[in-house]
Amino acid sequence: MIKDLEQIKEFALQKIKEAESTDILEQIRVEFLGKKGKITEVLKKLGSLLPEERPKVGSIANEIKEIITNNIQKQYQIVLEKELQKKIEKEQIDITLPGRTYGNGHMHVINQVMNEITGIFIQMGFQVATGPEVETEYYNFESLNTPEDHPARDVHDTFYIKPGVVLRTHTSPVQMRVMEKTKPPVAVIVPGRVYRVDNDASHSPMFNQMEGLLVDEDVTFADLKGTLMYFVHKFFGEDTAVRFRPHYFPFTEPSAEMDISCTVCKGKGCRVCKHSGWLEILGCGMVHPKVFQYAGYDNEKYQGYAFGFGIDRMAMLKFAIPSINLLFDNNLKFLEQF
Amino acid sequence: MKISLNWLKEYCNFSVSVNELAERMTMLGLEIESIEEPGKEIENVFVGKILDIQPHPQADKLVVCKTDIGKGEPLQIICGAKNMKVGDKVPTAIDGAILPGGFRITRRKMRGIESFGMMCSGAELKVEEDSEGLLILHPDAPLGEDIKKVLGLDDVIFEIEITPNRGDWASYIGLARELSAYYDIPITLPQIKFSEIEKTASSISSVTIDCPDFCPRYAGRVIQNVKIAPSPDWLARKLISAGQRPINNIVDITNFVLLETGHPLHAFDFDKLNENRIVVRLAKEGEQIRTLDGELRTLNTSQMVIADAIKPQALAGIMGGADSEVDDNTVNVFLESAYFDPVSIRRTARFHNLLTEAAQHFQRGADPEMVTWAIDRATSLIQELAGGKVLKGILDEYPKKIQRKNVKLRYERTKKRIGIEIDKDFQRTIILKLGFSVKEENEKEVDFIVPSWRHDVSLEEDLIEEIARFYGYDKIPNTLPKIRQSGAVFDTAFKKVNDIRTLLVHKGLTECYSWTFSNPEIMQQLNFPENYLNMVVLQNPLSKNLSTMRTSIIPDLLTTAQKNHLEDTISIFEIGPVFLPTEQNLLPDEPQKLGILLSGSANPRLWCYNDRKQFDFFDLKGIVEDILNELYIPYRVEKSDFPLFHPGQSMKITNQNEELGIVGKLNPKIAHELEINENTYISELNLNKILCVTPKKKIYKTISEFPSTSRDLAILVDRSLPVSEIFSSLKSVGEGMLQKIELFDVYTGEQVPHDKKSVALGFTFCSNEKTLTDNEIDSVMKEIISTLQKKFNAHIR
Ligand SMILES: [Zn+2]
Repeated sequence: MIKDLEQIKEFALQKIKEAESTDILEQIRVEFLGKKGKITEVLKKLGSLLPEERPKVGSIANEIKEIITNNIQKQYQIVLEKELQKKIEKEQIDITLPGRTYGNGHMHVINQVMNEITGIFIQMGFQVATGPEVETEYYNFESLNTPEDHPARDVHDTFYIKPGVVLRTHTSPVQMRVMEKTKPPVAVIVPGRVYRVDNDASHSPMFNQMEGLLVDEDVTFADLKGTLMYFVHKFFGEDTAVRFRPHYFPFTEPSAEMDISCTVCKGKGCRVCKHSGWLEILGCGMVHPKVFQYAGYDNEKYQGYAFGFGIDRMAMLKFAIPSINLLFDNNLKFLEQF
Repeated sequence: MKISLNWLKEYCNFSVSVNELAERMTMLGLEIESIEEPGKEIENVFVGKILDIQPHPQADKLVVCKTDIGKGEPLQIICGAKNMKVGDKVPTAIDGAILPGGFRITRRKMRGIESFGMMCSGAELKVEEDSEGLLILHPDAPLGEDIKKVLGLDDVIFEIEITPNRGDWASYIGLARELSAYYDIPITLPQIKFSEIEKTASSISSVTIDCPDFCPRYAGRVIQNVKIAPSPDWLARKLISAGQRPINNIVDITNFVLLETGHPLHAFDFDKLNENRIVVRLAKEGEQIRTLDGELRTLNTSQMVIADAIKPQALAGIMGGADSEVDDNTVNVFLESAYFDPVSIRRTARFHNLLTEAAQHFQRGADPEMVTWAIDRATSLIQELAGGKVLKGILDEYPKKIQRKNVKLRYERTKKRIGIEIDKDFQRTIILKLGFSVKEENEKEVDFIVPSWRHDVSLEEDLIEEIARFYGYDKIPNTLPKIRQSGAVFDTAFKKVNDIRTLLVHKGLTECYSWTFSNPEIMQQLNFPENYLNMVVLQNPLSKNLSTMRTSIIPDLLTTAQKNHLEDTISIFEIGPVFLPTEQNLLPDEPQKLGILLSGSANPRLWCYNDRKQFDFFDLKGIVEDILNELYIPYRVEKSDFPLFHPGQSMKITNQNEELGIVGKLNPKIAHELEINENTYISELNLNKILCVTPKKKIYKTISEFPSTSRDLAILVDRSLPVSEIFSSLKSVGEGMLQKIELFDVYTGEQVPHDKKSVALGFTFCSNEKTLTDNEIDSVMKEIISTLQKKFNAHIR
């Protein structure tokens, strides 16, 4: 019987040595060590032996079992290594193939810019306020020191709805709505659509503005300049030059327009900036006493600044978009660029 | 406004470079639109005199001229023009001359005869738009003189935009005032000299003002025996430099004085005035006047006219009348200089859509104290250029004296507003230089009297602006304010709406941005329900198809789908207001709506997708549900009958009977009509309503430490049974053991009867207290099965 066992062992070891796959090794394990395996079969006959021979044969059988197990394990490692290596070689892919995706969507460029700008001001401490687009003439004009026969109304070609009601021509009416709701301090920015009767290559009857209003006890014109300079440097880059020119708005005094160095030629002069090196982007000023009067604010105690600019223009400058009409044309070939 | 630098220097002789001046004007608030130097490119063009003209032997259309240019031998020049004669003086370009556009003149042979230069037309020198023939110069033009000097081309023309508050800037004297204050150079006004005859104007004419509120001041002069003629070159050139066309000496003088002083004048033919007198009055209802532009205008009683004894002869302050126009036969002139109320001029000018130069000046506010200076300036020029006898005296009616205002400046307020200390003396000096005078003053404040031309100054802040302007905005520091909030909140939706926008973008959708106008006819054609047709209507729309404000974003989405119909995938959304009129409020409601449109292929044409699945209803429903779930909004869905949608694929989303939105397949009939993909799915959600819904609370649920077990079940039910009913019927089954039900297959087709469908459900059981036994799970499964059998007559497969 010992001889049988030795024979089985030799046979098994030979087979293990020749085994080339983990599957074969598993078969070998079953063949020799399994419940119905060859060693088990031999051990089943243990009963036929003399009682004093049994322990010896038993221990030899176990020894052989262990040797076979160890050998299988060793060979398993070697074969597995080879198999994995083969598998790895087989699984080479072209990693330059495009990834599986349904494609990204695109936020409209106006809202991308709007978010960037509101982000800058929110971080400074402003909050967002909004107001109606169909607006009363009172809020759009009168309360902003622009009575009915004021020549400044000429620059606002207004859409009329019915007596006393218009499409707002700027986001400024929200200034008054905000001031009516609270006493100072007030620090808001107002993004939104505005409307003017104008439609050509450089004008759209609907466009977007951003208004800013800060009212407190000691807000100065220097603060206005500093705030807007900070904004321009964040949005257009630190190397952008800024200048303020006196201007006129009925609802601010003193008033200014702000220019930035041309984003195309960096101030050298080109077609976009009409060879001046400057681009006009924003109107601003200290809130007019008459406006405070309408808001019920004490002009002696409080002072503030307001500014307004076109979001579309900012987007056009930032992304070199040549015509405002592209923004509202909803051509997917345009929208998907941003 | 066009401003000639040479002309400006006649009033204030500053010596700074063009760039410095442009920069200075800009920083004072005068916006420079453009700077042109008309003579910049012209070189070697002189005044020449034609001595001889002979036909060209080889060419019918050419002549051979001898032209003297004041130095050397006369030049032989071949010329194609016909309008000149021997003795005429013309601009002559010599060999090597350069004309506008860099065009270089050289000597060359023309049809065999040598030409040593070129005689120029006005167009060739860019002083006229079009020319027929040569530019014939005034006989007094000095021979051999540089043409740039003679034609005033050695000049710089600034195009300046003037803000509506500074009407006083819209003249040479006004600009000179500003620059003289800045450069501290005195302003020089032209000398006025003319002689009056004994006879007084009041002896043959009169002025009556019936409406002093509309016309506080009206002055007139009578000048007899004038000689109407073309204006001399200097005057014509000045008008041309301002973009005006010379007419005759009298009219040109009134226009010139307007440019110079900013004060509009008008000249009537005195003999055409009935009874030779002027009545300033309001028009009678329906009264008519033919204005100088030839239009017959019907007036109403709010409009002011300058009438004679019988009828209107001018639309006051706006345009003269054709009947009393100064023409070549005019002999006697009535010259008008007045101050009209700005608002009345503005209303009438707008009414007649006649915003003339004069109207623009008057509506910004003219200078009431300039009335007599301006009329005398014009009188002086008329006598100089047209001769004539000036009758003694001005007929100056001034029933409503306009008082000068006074405004107080507290020196320390300047620092408070501007943010920098500006020297007291500097502040005071600036204001005085601008023509203000001191009424009263002490250490701390000064009460200034405002000059008659500064209608824009009435508050302390106006003075502070003047100080800041002259101090220089660029010298004011840039500081960052402390920003504080009162605690009031003005908008709660902005961020949430933006989060929705971001979510949709991450889901692969592209955002559109449309005009919010809509076309009411399209709304009807598309069969929108009645409540969508109650719209905000524009009184002055750009066009009929943009004449209302939108009540839905869907038409915009459809337009975008049409525009992009060649794309094989359209997955777009737009967020924006719609405008819903209400009975009770003046202003409409403006809820923010979200519109989504999916059309075409759901996946891109890419190597890793085997087929191009088309979008279906559930792609869109999934997106909408994700938004609502992201916001924790509780909602129900039910079938709906929105007329734009496919009747079998249309649903609405509700919360407590409030409709939050709709989802559906575009009705194929509409898709056909619009020629867009039939597989188009649309949703419109009311974001205001959604954001008003109280979100579900987020509360931690215990994670069981015991294993869970799954069982699957396939049942056969009626095809029309909504699956949601199966789910709701199982809500109370399982006593906390049934953790989750998955719907993993729905099948209709050959394997099942045609009126049935197979629904495959996966149940997950788990308890927080123990590991569930097979028996416990079996008994729940039994309950589930019996419920389904009872309620839906379900067959277990
Ligand atoms: Zn540029």
